[in-house]
Amino acid sequence: MKQIFTRKNLPILATTFVLVLLFGTFSVLFDNFLSLRVVTDLFASNAHVGVVAIGMTFVILSGGIDLSVGSVVGFTTIFVATLVGKHEVHPVLAILLALLVGSVFGAGMGIFIQVYQLPPFLVTLAGMFFARGMAFVVSKQSLEINHRFYSAVIDAGIPLTDKVILRAPACIFVAVFVVALVLAHFSRFGRNVYAVGGNAASSLLMGVPVGRTRIWIYTLSGFCAALGGVVFTFRTQAGNATNAFGLELDAIAAVVIGGTLLSGGVGYVAGTLMGVLIYGTILTGIRFYGNLDSSWQRMAIGALLLVFIVIQRLLTRAPAREASH
Amino acid sequence: MNSAPSTIISRFLQSRIVWPLAGLALLLLFNFVFDRAFFEVSTRDGNFYGPMLTVMRLSVVVMLLAMGMTLVIATGGVDLSVGSVMAIVGTLTAFLAVKHHLSFPSLLGVAISVSLAIGVFNGVLISCVGIQPIVVTLIMMVLGRGVALNITGGSPLQVVDSGVLFLGKSFIVGVPVQIFLVVLVFAITVILCRKTAIGLFVEAVGDNETASRLSGVNARGIKVLVYIFSAVCAALAALVSIGDAGSVDPDGLGQMLELDAITAVVVGGTVLTGGRFTLLGSLIGALLIQTLATTLIRQGMDSAYAPVPKALVILVVCLLQSQKFRAQIASLIGNFRKPTS
Amino acid sequence: MLAAAITTFTGCDKKADTQSANPQGGGKKLVVGFSQVGADNDWRVAETKSIRDEAAKRGIELKYDDAKDDMSKQLAAISSFIAQGVDAIILAPKVETGWEPVLKEAKAAKIPVILVDRGIKVSDESLYATLIASDFVAEGKMAADWLAKKTGGKANIIELEGTPGAAPAIDRKKGFADGIAAFPEMKIIAAQSGDFKTAKGKEVTETLLQKHGKDVTAIYAHNDNMALGAIEAIKAAGKKPGQEIIIVSVDAVKAGFESMVKGELNCAVECTPLLGPAAFDAVDMALKGDKFDKKTVVQDRVFDQSSAATELPNRKY
Repeated sequence: MKQIFTRKNLPILATTFVLVLLFGTFSVLFDNFLSLRVVTDLFASNAHVGVVAIGMTFVILSGGIDLSVGSVVGFTTIFVATLVGKHEVHPVLAILLALLVGSVFGAGMGIFIQVYQLPPFLVTLAGMFFARGMAFVVSKQSLEINHRFYSAVIDAGIPLTDKVILRAPACIFVAVFVVALVLAHFSRFGRNVYAVGGNAASSLLMGVPVGRTRIWIYTLSGFCAALGGVVFTFRTQAGNATNAFGLELDAIAAVVIGGTLLSGGVGYVAGTLMGVLIYGTILTGIRFYGNLDSSWQRMAIGALLLVFIVIQRLLTRAPAREASH
Repeated sequence: MNSAPSTIISRFLQSRIVWPLAGLALLLLFNFVFDRAFFEVSTRDGNFYGPMLTVMRLSVVVMLLAMGMTLVIATGGVDLSVGSVMAIVGTLTAFLAVKHHLSFPSLLGVAISVSLAIGVFNGVLISCVGIQPIVVTLIMMVLGRGVALNITGGSPLQVVDSGVLFLGKSFIVGVPVQIFLVVLVFAITVILCRKTAIGLFVEAVGDNETASRLSGVNARGIKVLVYIFSAVCAALAALVSIGDAGSVDPDGLGQMLELDAITAVVVGGTVLTGGRFTLLGSLIGALLIQTLATTLIRQGMDSAYAPVPKALVILVVCLLQSQKFRAQIASLIGNFRKPTS
Repeated sequence: MLAAAITTFTGCDKKADTQSANPQGGGKKLVVGFSQVGADNDWRVAETKSIRDEAAKRGIELKYDDAKDDMSKQLAAISSFIAQGVDAIILAPKVETGWEPVLKEAKAAKIPVILVDRGIKVSDESLYATLIASDFVAEGKMAADWLAKKTGGKANIIELEGTPGAAPAIDRKKGFADGIAAFPEMKIIAAQSGDFKTAKGKEVTETLLQKHGKDVTAIYAHNDNMALGAIEAIKAAGKKPGQEIIIVSVDAVKAGFESMVKGELNCAVECTPLLGPAAFDAVDMALKGDKFDKKTVVQDRVFDQSSAATELPNRKY
């Protein structure tokens, strides 16, 4: 137990505390809030944001950013729907193809960033426009996916109680999280990511393959974005070129709320999970309150985020200052 | 002053603005070849009128935002709240003019004080509480949009104040007023940054905050200052924008413009990680973005597909800034020339 | 410890279930969830207000959620309404597709769903109780018919489209195209998106007027906001809106009427956002288990400068 409460883990503990505090407050305030159904909903409703944000965590850890993810999610949904609906490709094949396209797209951006030393912001911004435009090229009309495989996946799930079922999107979210946790903290790739974000020049001297790592990072983010798109189709059973517009900002927000520094080198995959859940919990709380008009909903989201971010910040700062004296 | 022309040219070629300018030149070249009418300028009622002028006039809003954003980015930060600041200021001033018949100077006063307050709010949370700039300004972006919607309940408003309309619609010696405004703000900013130590301090904070603090720079003060400046620029952009459109729509005003502003800054040659910055580059970046948007509309590009060429142009402008890419192109051209000569 | 926590969870769940099982049991206040797309224009603001006001009038507790233009947030809102055990759900869907899985959940929880303002595509129509909607395609056609009559079937038109991919943008474009198909001399010379926004409408119109100059005789905008922007652009180009260039738009909100009274906007096809009363009538009937129509199309009207002044005082939105 003692080892968990070290100063290294302080930010993540503070973030967890904030989440618990937030969830606890809403549970006291609203009937039915403290229920397994709300918890599973939290995972299911934010599954696509979560998967994308986990990929984004690696990018931000390396000191980069990926603005293309929302568009890649949108592209993937319409791409899969068109393949299945118009070209009668089996969904499994369509999904694998989509994941491949997303990964290759990410790798392409990584190559531009690495080889030509271009700013990730601009390259992925171009990627964002490109993927959105291509989504409309695939189909301007939204398209439903009518296939037995999809119906089967959507109906499937792990029953937690007789009423509450953990559906595919939530399962994928959890699985991606576990894999990412291992990748970040127990693999050479993970160590390299932190090294690149900490100081690319000196990691190069230490023999870290900076270039290769960076390209893999964007490949991973592209893969996660495509997987996020697949998750989205499992929630909607449809594709639409306009899907997930602006998702990149939600994903980046989740990562940085989770304590990862935008400047790179410092951060946690687990923090990103907390970030996604904190944001999701705030939105759920507002839905349970239910009596705010559009303008007050926006103000409440902002204000709640602010309060809990300040708490998180003060919790991590106070002991750090003590230690430095 | 007394340097030979050749050194001026070589200094120009080494400066950062040369590559965004090259990107802009490429776009204009495209229009010159395929759409000569793009360059037509006529006079109407003694005022200049034509596509180029429209492009310049329309890019003023992003130019103003980009100037504030440049200094913020130079300190290693980012300001996502500018679009929402525009929405608050634009809606509030239009509302006060309609409902309480405030005069233009008081409207200007309200606009400046509201933006000042938001700038202080952002700056203090970032520099004193130590929350990441992207988090603080993202919160302000969501919260601010709510405030803007709350002023009118979301309904649009007509702009009735003649001063605001003057900013957006009128001409001085045939040139749109907002172009003078942007030149004025640019001149003041450049003088403040280059003739005082403020510019150096901003760069110092962006390069290495701890080191700058140890060497006596008031890093916190500088940070608060740049967020205030960014918010005030957004307020001016709001007045220009609503004056031009003649009405305010609280949900649409300024939406996504933070992205355009950041893009203008980065395209212009300022690095997102902070440090050295170029205000002129950001203005060119903003002009480039608007030229591109207008070109796509004039070419009759389907709005749904328009992002694709937009992406390609951004990538090309990016590549122009890469030394390695230029070297590759140069060697390609070299190889191409050899056999013919 | 963990087991205890799970029991608490499931305990709460049961409570939620019993609530939804007898909606009107014991004279309890009715709870209805309303998932709105966003607050992107005054039409939507008016729709939200109509539903909130009607709920208050009937003493119904309304759970309102604004999805900020994000479909996945609408899905989350519906899930959350189900978790809260509301009695009925009103949904203003952002797009046509993608609702089947979440509506199945609602059906399993025996919560009726009433759709407002646009239809959806589902394989099983029993997934929703009823649809109360305007016909976007018909609106586009009405705009085309009016313009054909006004111009004698001769016009060079700039079309200001809504946001790419948005259902009203697709349908209003289709309806208009169908409407002018009968008139060979009515041509759309340029069509560009103005994102349903005033400033963008102005920017696009200004550029297109420079490009196509004197050719343009009419503008068709997918909503009033863009038409208002277009009018400003026409003035900036030194022309008289409403006379030299005829402008027709859809929605007919108050600002549109004011513009018609000023003689600038020529025609606005109404798309009424006041769906609250009809929506709650449907909620009542669905909860009582009454049989009623699967689809109610709201009758939209066409207003032009001649009828605008008399209607303006009645406009609440």
